[in-house]
Amino acid sequence: MKLSEFIRPATLKEARDVLRELGPKGMPLAGGTALHFMQGKTPVTAVDITRLGLSYIKQDGNYFVIGAATPLADIQRRRGERWAMHEICRRISTHQIRNVSTIGGNICRVFPWADLPVVLLAMGAVMTVYTGKKKEDEVPADEFFASQPARRFAGGDILTAVKIPVLKAHHGFGSVKVSRNAAAFSMVTIAALLELDGGTIKSARVAAGSAIPFPRRLRLVEAALAGKEPTAEVFRAAAAACTDVKWCGQEGMSAEYIRNLAEVSITDALERAAEFARGRTK
Amino acid sequence: MSKVSTNTVSFTLNGVKKTFETRPDEKLLALLRRNGYRGTKYGCGQGTCGACTVIMDGRAVYACLMYAMQAEGSKVRTIESSGTFENPGEFQKELVAAGAVQCGYCIPGIVMSATALMEAEKDVTDEIAREYMDGNLCRCTGYEKIWIALRRVLDRKPGEKKPAAAKRGKK
Repeated sequence: MKLSEFIRPATLKEARDVLRELGPKGMPLAGGTALHFMQGKTPVTAVDITRLGLSYIKQDGNYFVIGAATPLADIQRRRGERWAMHEICRRISTHQIRNVSTIGGNICRVFPWADLPVVLLAMGAVMTVYTGKKKEDEVPADEFFASQPARRFAGGDILTAVKIPVLKAHHGFGSVKVSRNAAAFSMVTIAALLELDGGTIKSARVAAGSAIPFPRRLRLVEAALAGKEPTAEVFRAAAAACTDVKWCGQEGMSAEYIRNLAEVSITDALERAAEFARGRTK
Repeated sequence: MSKVSTNTVSFTLNGVKKTFETRPDEKLLALLRRNGYRGTKYGCGQGTCGACTVIMDGRAVYACLMYAMQAEGSKVRTIESSGTFENPGEFQKELVAAGAVQCGYCIPGIVMSATALMEAEKDVTDEIAREYMDGNLCRCTGYEKIWIALRRVLDRKPGEKKPAAAKRGKK
């Protein structure tokens, strides 16, 4: 994308005001890595939002709060009790990109192959959005990713943070990304959150991306898990239950192959979630 | 708000504060090469190969996927900071000693990624090293010899005898 001007606002309000004024002629820039590949005939003004104090990770009560301009490398390096976000971030692109690319940039405009929306859907994350008011909007992942989030930001509003629920001891989380090689885009990405109650699954949130046009929850898989024991057979049966999903074939791979790949990945993600609940930290 | 109409960018380059003329959509890589820092290579131009890797504020980044304007106020280091032909850096010596440099096009980027690794981590496991080096491709020598050279530098204990300078054939 051609840039005609480069602006560094000093405050969130300034950034929103200038983006509002510019409309389609402005573009917020955080890591900026995707901007190089975006098509667009008319040059845009880049509005740098990396100098607004939006790069941080902190725990606030029941949430881990990740600033929207936090690079993926920081999320990936963080280790801690009940922290599960490093797993998927390690699998995104390469070291140099993870150093620059931000969590906000990965989710404000969802590309079909994006991994983070899948994880945030399963996690039940909450996005905070600055709309010019003192109190920022809180948007749950299900609403945020119901359609292309970029539309939400067309009027200059700015994503400020992503809030990830702190998992409890009876929670398990697992994510799986399948790609041709380490740095390639995802062929299929699955994330699963299990809430256990004694020996049974109380509830589950499972989401998929990449092998479908837009990331989404797999409600039939979730329903097939509720009330069951977290065993390999239950996981396999649940993975086969997502009959409402139309998996798309990809270069050199039939839709049937991708469906099989997705089902295996769902089973793997559920196994990893169960391991997490049993105490896996890596 | 600093509205950038002057089209200049200032940052510390290899320890020296500098100001460069630029345009809003000039890539950092183009700016560096245009100003004589040609050790940083143009490879794929799309953030895949790693030949353009530089270190910005301690982190390895692709100079081809960064607008020069993004470097404002930062500390940038290029391969020119890590050694000279007469006096190569430790890892550069090991690369030569291991026979890891065939065409050499990827090496400046590899050295910068390794530098970021060595500065940020201690007790580097293979897993951590792979994580730091996963954004650099080599298409001729292969990774084995690069890996051997890197492991030699990483495994050397402080104060341990350094290798003799690699022999260079007389002209």
